[in-house]
Amino acid sequence: MIHVHDLAKSYSDLRRGQFEALRRVSFHAKAGQIYGLLGPNGAGKTTALRILSTLLRPTGGAATINGYDVVLQSAQVRRQIGFMSANTAVYDRMTGWEMVEHFGRLHGIPKDELADRMESLFARLKMNDTRDVLGAKMSTGMKQKVSVARAVVHDPPVLIFDEATAGLDVLVARALLNTVAEFRDNGKCIIFSTHIMREAEKLCDRVAILHRGCFLAEGTLDDLREQHGESDLEELFFQLISQHDEADCR
Amino acid sequence: MKLANVKLICAREIRDQLRDRRTLFIIAVLPIVLYPLLGMSLFQIAQFTQQQKARILVVGAGNRAASPSLFDGNHFARWLFGDPKTAELLELHFDPQDGGVSAAELRRDANTQVKLGAYEAALWFPPDFATRLNAVRKSIVDRRAGRDDSPHQRRATVAKVPSPDIIYNTASDKSQLACARLCDVLGRWTKRIEDENLELSGVPKAAVRPFAIGAADVASPRLSQGVMWAKILPVLLLVWALTGAFYPAIDLCAGEKERGTLETLLCSPAARGEIVLGKLITVMLFSAMTALLNLLSVGVTGWAILTQLPGFGVPPVAAIVALGVALLPISALFSALCLALAAFARSTKEGQYYLMPLLILSMPLVILPMSPGVQLSLGTSLIPVTGIVLLLRSLLEGDYWPAIQFAPAVAAVTVAACMLSIRWAVDQFNSESVLFREGERLDLRLWLRHLIRDRGPTPTVAAALCCGVCILVVRFSVGPWITMPASPTGFALGTILTQLLMIAAPALVMAMLFTSAPRQTLLLRWPAWWTIPGAAILAAALHPSTSVVSSAVERLYPMSDDVRRALEELASKFQQTNVWLLLLLIAVLPAICEELAFRGFILSGFRHLGHKWRAIILSALLFGLAHGILQQSLIASLIGVMIGYLAVQSGSILPGMVFHLVHNALPLANASVTPAMFPPWAVSRLLVTPGVKGGCVFGWPLVAAGAVIGLLVLICFSRLPCAKSAEESLEEAIKRGESSPEKLVCPERTIAGG
Repeated sequence: MIHVHDLAKSYSDLRRGQFEALRRVSFHAKAGQIYGLLGPNGAGKTTALRILSTLLRPTGGAATINGYDVVLQSAQVRRQIGFMSANTAVYDRMTGWEMVEHFGRLHGIPKDELADRMESLFARLKMNDTRDVLGAKMSTGMKQKVSVARAVVHDPPVLIFDEATAGLDVLVARALLNTVAEFRDNGKCIIFSTHIMREAEKLCDRVAILHRGCFLAEGTLDDLREQHGESDLEELFFQLISQHDEADCR
Repeated sequence: MKLANVKLICAREIRDQLRDRRTLFIIAVLPIVLYPLLGMSLFQIAQFTQQQKARILVVGAGNRAASPSLFDGNHFARWLFGDPKTAELLELHFDPQDGGVSAAELRRDANTQVKLGAYEAALWFPPDFATRLNAVRKSIVDRRAGRDDSPHQRRATVAKVPSPDIIYNTASDKSQLACARLCDVLGRWTKRIEDENLELSGVPKAAVRPFAIGAADVASPRLSQGVMWAKILPVLLLVWALTGAFYPAIDLCAGEKERGTLETLLCSPAARGEIVLGKLITVMLFSAMTALLNLLSVGVTGWAILTQLPGFGVPPVAAIVALGVALLPISALFSALCLALAAFARSTKEGQYYLMPLLILSMPLVILPMSPGVQLSLGTSLIPVTGIVLLLRSLLEGDYWPAIQFAPAVAAVTVAACMLSIRWAVDQFNSESVLFREGERLDLRLWLRHLIRDRGPTPTVAAALCCGVCILVVRFSVGPWITMPASPTGFALGTILTQLLMIAAPALVMAMLFTSAPRQTLLLRWPAWWTIPGAAILAAALHPSTSVVSSAVERLYPMSDDVRRALEELASKFQQTNVWLLLLLIAVLPAICEELAFRGFILSGFRHLGHKWRAIILSALLFGLAHGILQQSLIASLIGVMIGYLAVQSGSILPGMVFHLVHNALPLANASVTPAMFPPWAVSRLLVTPGVKGGCVFGWPLVAAGAVIGLLVLICFSRLPCAKSAEESLEEAIKRGESSPEKLVCPERTIAGG
């Protein structure tokens, strides 16, 4: 479903010069699978996901989503994905219903079908209380639900969540994680980036640990534990990052 | 482009804006309230300035002439006023010190009183004013009776009458108004004295004033009132269209970035062009609504209040309709410009900083048509914004024929400017450095280090633009200091220094410092052998066409007398210079220096934009601007496009240099042609005829033949395997990919540049 091959992205930065945010990373994710991108802040997670969602162009390598190239066929790619991040906000002067409807119609869903789909989506995500509330008046939890509904209203085969639980309280975060798991069970291919290890352990089928634009480890959780002899993912994460930083220092 | 997506985005944006109180206030509430309030204030101010009483100190009143009467109690005599009621507006206060103090002290005192504001003005009669005036009158009577003195004495008596003075203060508006009223009153009084003196002398009035100059206004009162509106309404329309576009544009772009909703929209299936068009229509709608409501409000205010002021009538209905029609292209142009600028801004606060530069840049284009000498012509109709304002002014003044005649040209230029602005806005939305740029502290040292440390084989777009701007700034700041050289040697030295130091040096230094492959940057490589003679043939073949275009440009935009004189002076210098030296200065040197700069460094940098033609046109525009004189700039821009194309197709700077050399050398050769050199055959006159000021004028058959040969050479150039920049290759691949609905299976592709 998602194929990433030697993906690289570099920026020109006054202080750091030609800064490589992503250094030739490769991975594959299948339908019905949650692929976790783990990494500290500045690891390159958001850059990778922005490339997959066609917001940024890579400076090297290639990536396809459901067979479409993210650079050459960006319009087709955008029809295959639902993207949600901690940064994506809701429109202040639109109600929850209007917002989801707007994006549904942009995806070309016929009006009647869209109304039915939205009714079931609002019921499933328990967000009927946001129907007539303007974005500016919504709580963080409400906003997050509307964002999820907006991202999945067109029933895309691929979902991209970039630190979707950042800034949420425990209750809302748990509800969101349950929703993501449900989407996986419904056959979606999901990329889920986070720096919270417990979320990854609970949710992801495969994970990649990303640091300074490089993959330090990649595989199923069991594979990683076996390869590195460390049962706790958080410890394993610290261990890999420390080793990488020490190697860099040397 | 899916129109359904454009419609959806537009509908959402309109709904969003209508729910925003600030936007509604600017668009609807402000115009409805502003103009009636402004009109009322103006009316009040006019009433105030017209009816305010002025206190006048009269010093030396006893010295005035007894006849004709000047005062009537504490006011001037009523016969001195057109409207006797206005006599009350000048309140006279006679100086109580009159008589006991010296004249100089009285004058000083009056000055102080006016300066301190105790009186709006003072009227000072010199001590012997009445005595002298009576002496003049007596001499007139004596002369009539045959008892007059010698002519010498008579002249002396008349000349010695001292004049009364009005003492006023220009720093005070009230004092200036009082002075104007006093001048009016005393003017009538003086005229009466003149008439009395004439009567005494027995000379009939008709001998002194045999006739009066009359003036007949052929304009209908309605039309003359329309002229006043013609000055105000177009400017008002443009300013409000710009303001009305700016705030929604900022909210729709910078505001969305700030709120984080833009990322959401960019991930939707709507293409960037569809997003821009949807937003553009919204901004246009609000811009047009703002301007329209302002016009309506002005119309109503004008009808209700301003018509009571002199010079203002009811704005003509046809004019209002014409303004409404012109509103669409004006709003489209400003909306696209505002959208592109707003997309560049990171936040609404940053966006607001861009309003003033945009307004300042637009104002000369709006103010230029208000200058008395500027009329609607083909030349002025081709200037964006200015053309529209002149067209509107013509309509408002009831001058319909020029308006109809040049409306297509104005429409074409406006549409072209709109398309370019929209293209720019779409580019801003496609640029990730614009959409996702983060604030970085400006540090010149870091920036220079970055430019040298991270230099690529060819310059960046920013470096190319910087080089172009550097050349322009140096040329225009040093240019005025360079005076016309007196000798041919001075001219040669000036040209060499200008070409080497102001044009070639910046490009060469920047190529050495900021690129890792200066030879590649400056396109210093051998092209296919035939391109060198090909470029020379092209320049020679297009020379007749270039001459025709140059003449057309000069007819469209005639040179000012100063510029023409300067150019003629320069041409006379050419005649004194050795022909080989002239060829070196006019043809060889610019061909090398200007090509290194504009087709070498600058064009190479602009090719990172990802579009070959955009790079060629931008470098040609900078090349044109570097020429300084408008007419030369227009021709140079066209030639720049041609040379840029040769450079891009051949991948070398050499064909462009050869073209430039031949293009510059041929006018010199043409100028040296004398009528004696023309063959005597009649058929030759079809091809060339002697010019009025020397040289030759090309006939249409030769122009057409040259154009055909030029076209053939260009076709040969177009078949060359043009080397593309990484960005150009990528853009082409994206175009192919977007149009292909087929799935690609993980191509192991490496994207260069990025």
